[in-house]
Amino acid sequence: MNQLLEIKDFSVTYVNKSKKVYAVKNVNLKINKGDSLGIVGESGSGKSTLAMALLRLLPEKNTQITGKANFIGKDLVQLNQKELKNIRWNELAVVFQKSMNALSPVHRIGPQIEDIYRVHKPNASKEEIFSRITYLLRLVNLSERVYTLYPHELSGGMLQRVSIAISLVHNPKLLIMDEATTALDVVTQGQILDEIVKMEQTLDVTRIMITHDISVVAASCNKIAVMYAGEFMEIGYVKDVLKNPKHPYTRGLLSSFPSLKGEKLKLTGISGYLPNLSVKQEGCIFAPRCQQATEKCKQEKPLGVEMNENTVWCHLYSSGGELINEDQKPVYKD
Amino acid sequence: MKKYVTRRVFMGLLTIFVVFTINFIIIRLAPGDPISTIMGKDNDDPILRTALEEKYGFDKPMITQYAIYLKNALTGDLGISIIYNKEVMAMITERIVPTLLLVLTAAILAVIIGTLMGMYAAKNEGSKIDVIFSGAAYIFNSMPAFWLGLILIIIFSSVLGLLPSYGMINTRDAHTGFDYILDVIVHMVLPVCTLVLVEIPIYFRIAKSSILQVTNEDFIVTLRATGMSERKIFNKYILRNAILPTITIFGISLAYLITGVALIETVFAWPGTGSLMLTAINQRDYPTLMGIYLIMSISVAVVMVLVDIVYATFDPRIRF
Amino acid sequence: MLSVKKNTYATFKVINGDIQLKLGVFGILFLLLVGILSPILAPLDPYHYGQDILNGLGVNGHLLGTNHLGQDVFSMIIYGVRTSLMVAVISALISAVLGILIGGIAGYFGGKLDLIVSECINAFMMVPTFFLILLVIALFDNSITNVMIVIGLTTWPSNAKLIRAQALSLRERTFVKSAITMGESKTQILFKYIIPNGIFPVLANTTIGMSNAILTEAGLSFLGLGDPNVISWGQMIFMGKQYITSAWWIATFAGVAIVLTVTVFYLLGDGLNHVLNPKHSNGKGGE
Repeated sequence: MNQLLEIKDFSVTYVNKSKKVYAVKNVNLKINKGDSLGIVGESGSGKSTLAMALLRLLPEKNTQITGKANFIGKDLVQLNQKELKNIRWNELAVVFQKSMNALSPVHRIGPQIEDIYRVHKPNASKEEIFSRITYLLRLVNLSERVYTLYPHELSGGMLQRVSIAISLVHNPKLLIMDEATTALDVVTQGQILDEIVKMEQTLDVTRIMITHDISVVAASCNKIAVMYAGEFMEIGYVKDVLKNPKHPYTRGLLSSFPSLKGEKLKLTGISGYLPNLSVKQEGCIFAPRCQQATEKCKQEKPLGVEMNENTVWCHLYSSGGELINEDQKPVYKD
Repeated sequence: MKKYVTRRVFMGLLTIFVVFTINFIIIRLAPGDPISTIMGKDNDDPILRTALEEKYGFDKPMITQYAIYLKNALTGDLGISIIYNKEVMAMITERIVPTLLLVLTAAILAVIIGTLMGMYAAKNEGSKIDVIFSGAAYIFNSMPAFWLGLILIIIFSSVLGLLPSYGMINTRDAHTGFDYILDVIVHMVLPVCTLVLVEIPIYFRIAKSSILQVTNEDFIVTLRATGMSERKIFNKYILRNAILPTITIFGISLAYLITGVALIETVFAWPGTGSLMLTAINQRDYPTLMGIYLIMSISVAVVMVLVDIVYATFDPRIRF
Repeated sequence: MLSVKKNTYATFKVINGDIQLKLGVFGILFLLLVGILSPILAPLDPYHYGQDILNGLGVNGHLLGTNHLGQDVFSMIIYGVRTSLMVAVISALISAVLGILIGGIAGYFGGKLDLIVSECINAFMMVPTFFLILLVIALFDNSITNVMIVIGLTTWPSNAKLIRAQALSLRERTFVKSAITMGESKTQILFKYIIPNGIFPVLANTTIGMSNAILTEAGLSFLGLGDPNVISWGQMIFMGKQYITSAWWIATFAGVAIVLTVTVFYLLGDGLNHVLNPKHSNGKGGE
């Protein structure tokens, strides 16, 4: 399979007068064509920052982005405004969390989409645009009537569908959905996730799904990346990671969600809080909250350990992927 | 939309009704009997007294008096001026044109200049010019307009001798045709500048803050992500959304300007309703004062309703 | 004791953190000081009609000159602080009390009463207040007491509107509902929970109202409707107007004093708004 996006040593730092906040630290990630990757983590773990940085939407005044993000042969970090403009929406589109505010409240929906269409096809005819937009609206199960309506005349779910339709106007290769279904009720969320998965098969898009809800990932992604305090803890196929989580943090995260299969396990959280991101920490970032942390964890950053296409950043595993110490076998806290 | 307009018009009518009622109550609460108030304290003409008693029905119960008062006011009969012995309504209509000339010129200039300054400051937030503009906004916002007028007279009339400090036309050297218009414009410069300077901060602040707010909205971030040019985003999407509060403020501040202009007119001896009001105050010409109050209140109510309707055409969210 | 210290420190930190609030608080303290110490600070009795008529700056020891009656302008300005602060505080207080009561009752009790009251508030807000004040003062007596009362009586609607909105949301909150379940009477709830918790926006609005009161008093005085027995900056401008070409200092410095005082109140109001805004509450605004 060919590679669409490769992130190498990617860091994002917020800088203001008095301090620096290391929001994303030296992350590495590969996404192949046709993948659908879910990035999960608590709020404040840097997952949205990562997405915004890839899209280059963070204010340049007070953010530093370092590392590489190779996207179809171009480095997103180094692109100038003109190259960036060509990539935006043509190759790389995004759907944001607050669908209610995703459209200008004082413009009709149709003309707003027309404007977005014309960004890359300024000479498109009215008919061409109209047929494209109505096609997309039908694709997300909306009637053509939406074209002439104002955003406040639609429900949250409908607006989210419009946002998704807008993200698809130029057939992007990569689609980032940042908490795109979080604000919706469970039923609507389920419907939209189903639609997204179906659409992907017809349109051939690769998707990054940012969410704090593991069930969303389980329902709509083939790969998962678990993020904590600006670093990846574990990346792998959903079927492997959810069934057999390797990293203590992933385990903790999973046990704080109700089981998908209805087994009545006791729900537990992870004790402690996110570390202070304005201080650079030695050792594993999760060590202070990890019940299995050793002296080594506190001093040395773990390197990624590969295990059949999955990667885990944890000192519990040797470079071959076996548990180093059998006593350290994963423990559930119940 | 229809429902909204009806509601606003009803609101305006209610306001006018409230103003009439306040007016009615005040005359009767004032020290001395209401007839002396209306005909002047120094006047003791028995014929006029009986005529007024007859006209306003002072011997009848309060309710009837109120009905008579409302009927008179609604037909434009605001009584007779004590000092000029002329219909109050006629005097006000004569004087309202110069007042409106000042108010509208100042309001339009202020909204344009203030909004442009706000746009510039919002685009260059934190820059030196933004800091200067914001600081100046504080100072001018705190300035009594009549005092600013006096200072401008000191600088531009007394010291520099550039501009006339009083009146609407040069009475010693009457002009006709185009020269007349030019003469009026020259006389307008100082009063209009005064009003514009105290009004700019209002528009500056609202424009700056609402542009900054809209710029952070999600749909602007989305539009940036589509690769749309910053210019188009600003001109079409940010401005169109950020202009809404300015419309509301325009109504409120126009109402404020209508009252504020009275003081400015007295500073520059501008022959409008404000100057009429000053004489009325000095001579305790109550019918004229009340007439001005009524007319000003009605103008303000009408302006507010109109602005609300204009607002509704700009903001689709209230069209129901 | 420790907590008091901590609270003072926290308050100080909040004040220090917002430049507008800082300037506002220090400005108000300065004005209060000048108001209290005016007999000491003023070199001459401002009510005294001296021999030096229309003296310029610094002439005969008059720092800011004298007016046509021989009064010392600098001393008048010092004493004028008292008038301005008095007008600001008393009229704003009347306006706040009225607004809080009317708005609080309307918002908390709701229903038909609220509908009528809020329509009246809206209608009142459209009435040009300055003309009304002017009319009343002209008809009644132009004493400073009347001026303050009338300003207070005509400016309450904006306060009422703010507290009404607060009451509407507060009455749905759990702590109010539990108070109802505990059997507290409606009046008790209104005064114990609704008003204390909804008062913050009114506080900021009241400081803005204070600056407006100062400007209104100045405007009335400028039209000759001020209290002739009290020294006020507006009246100094009114009197100075006739001498604007020959003795510019009379009107100019009084105006500067008004601008500075009003700016201080505006800064305080803006600062309070920033700090009390629930969006970046510093543990003071919310319950």
